Amino acid sequence: MSITPLRPRTGPNSPEGPPIRLVTSGTQESIGMLDDNARFRAVVLPYIDEAYRLARWLTGNGTDAEDVVQDASLRAFRAIRSYAGGNPRAWLLSIVRNTAYSWLHKNRPTTIVAVDDLEAVEREHVKADDRRDDTPEASLIAKADADQLRAAIAKLPAPFRETLVLRDIEGLDYREIAEATEVPIGTVMSRLARARRRLLETLSQDD
Amino acid sequence: MSRPRSDDNSVLLVHAYLDGELDPANALSVAQQMSQEPALAAEAERVKELQNLIHDRLPREAAPPGLRARIESSVGATRHKRAKPSWLALAASIAVAAVVAGTSTWLVVDSRQQPMQVAELLVSDHIRGLMAPEPVDVVSSDRHTVKPWFNGRISNSPRVVDLARDDFPLIGGRVDVLGRTPVSTLVYRRAKHLISLTAVPADSTFAFNGSPQSINGYNIVRWTENGVSYWAISDLEPKELEIFAQLFRTSQNEL
Repeated sequence: MSITPLRPRTGPNSPEGPPIRLVTSGTQESIGMLDDNARFRAVVLPYIDEAYRLARWLTGNGTDAEDVVQDASLRAFRAIRSYAGGNPRAWLLSIVRNTAYSWLHKNRPTTIVAVDDLEAVEREHVKADDRRDDTPEASLIAKADADQLRAAIAKLPAPFRETLVLRDIEGLDYREIAEATEVPIGTVMSRLARARRRLLETLSQDD
Repeated sequence: MSRPRSDDNSVLLVHAYLDGELDPANALSVAQQMSQEPALAAEAERVKELQNLIHDRLPREAAPPGLRARIESSVGATRHKRAKPSWLALAASIAVAAVVAGTSTWLVVDSRQQPMQVAELLVSDHIRGLMAPEPVDVVSSDRHTVKPWFNGRISNSPRVVDLARDDFPLIGGRVDVLGRTPVSTLVYRRAKHLISLTAVPADSTFAFNGSPQSINGYNIVRWTENGVSYWAISDLEPKELEIFAQLFRTSQNEL
């Protein structure tokens, strides 16, 4: 991670030299800051576990997930004033998701499908899914253990994986998932159905 | 049994039904449809089985213990925060915390026995200073203004020297907090670069194990004098920072 100055420096850092004056306590700013901190505490901190789990499913490991969540928390803090008071969990998770994809794009460009290509991936997969005629029995998958299950979820293409994780692991409702993944509810529904079908296929093949 | 396409509306509605997303009228109609179409009923069975499996096999794990604390402290919500933190500084301190973890060997043991890294904290404070509206709490090029300002804020007001003639003008001072110890930091300027010079009482609270030369591009020069450990941190070239340190140590222009 590199540090980039985020705005041009002014005041004492400018070449013209510093103003010579005494600065007393910045009461106004402090109140503003407290406010931001309070909002951050209310909106972001309660959902760190969810953020971490989503990042972990998206990046595939805990260390990267921690990086992503730290980065996402920072982005959330920056944006906290623009947070409009909607669903805080969905809001934070959408930031985590975007951060995770940027992270993957940067760090694993060869393994990640660009977010722009997701629709193409989906079309391709839905064709493949529907070519299969087998209908796995419910009882077949009951034997899958945690590792098999995790591996099967990890194999899902990202748009399916994130949708399934948000619904079946995190328990978000469709509206929240639509908000977090920035797609219409109809897309959430079709992704979810496909994700579950693919998962069932994989699990029944494992047996 | 023929299987409906996955983008078939009735299939999506079965999933939505199981997810409790349908209003009563639609739920009723889907339930009726399932009772008439075995393929849909089978779809529902499989999905339920899958949901149970996920629920039973994949307990939701919590984030690693340190993560929340790191996030909190990086947004200035906890220790070593200044009176006027800026979110811009948070960016930097998060970045630094992520980069330097494990590289620094200066430890501070605070009253809760959590070892913290002095160099890391001071670099964070320096960056916070750069990003804040003002890098200092007292802005003055006059050491006679800066030195007394520390009186009453920290127990030992620092040595303040005038290096303006050597092109290291004094910008001002601020109080940083290491663990729970307030320390004085003077800020000097060299061209467009700022130098944070922190005086840390070298008492028993601080365990010394060596010091990194730089953290994330910020160079560090450290020396000890009269029981005070000085830390100069800047994005200046190491050579220039060394020159600054030498000038500071040898200067007679003292209050």
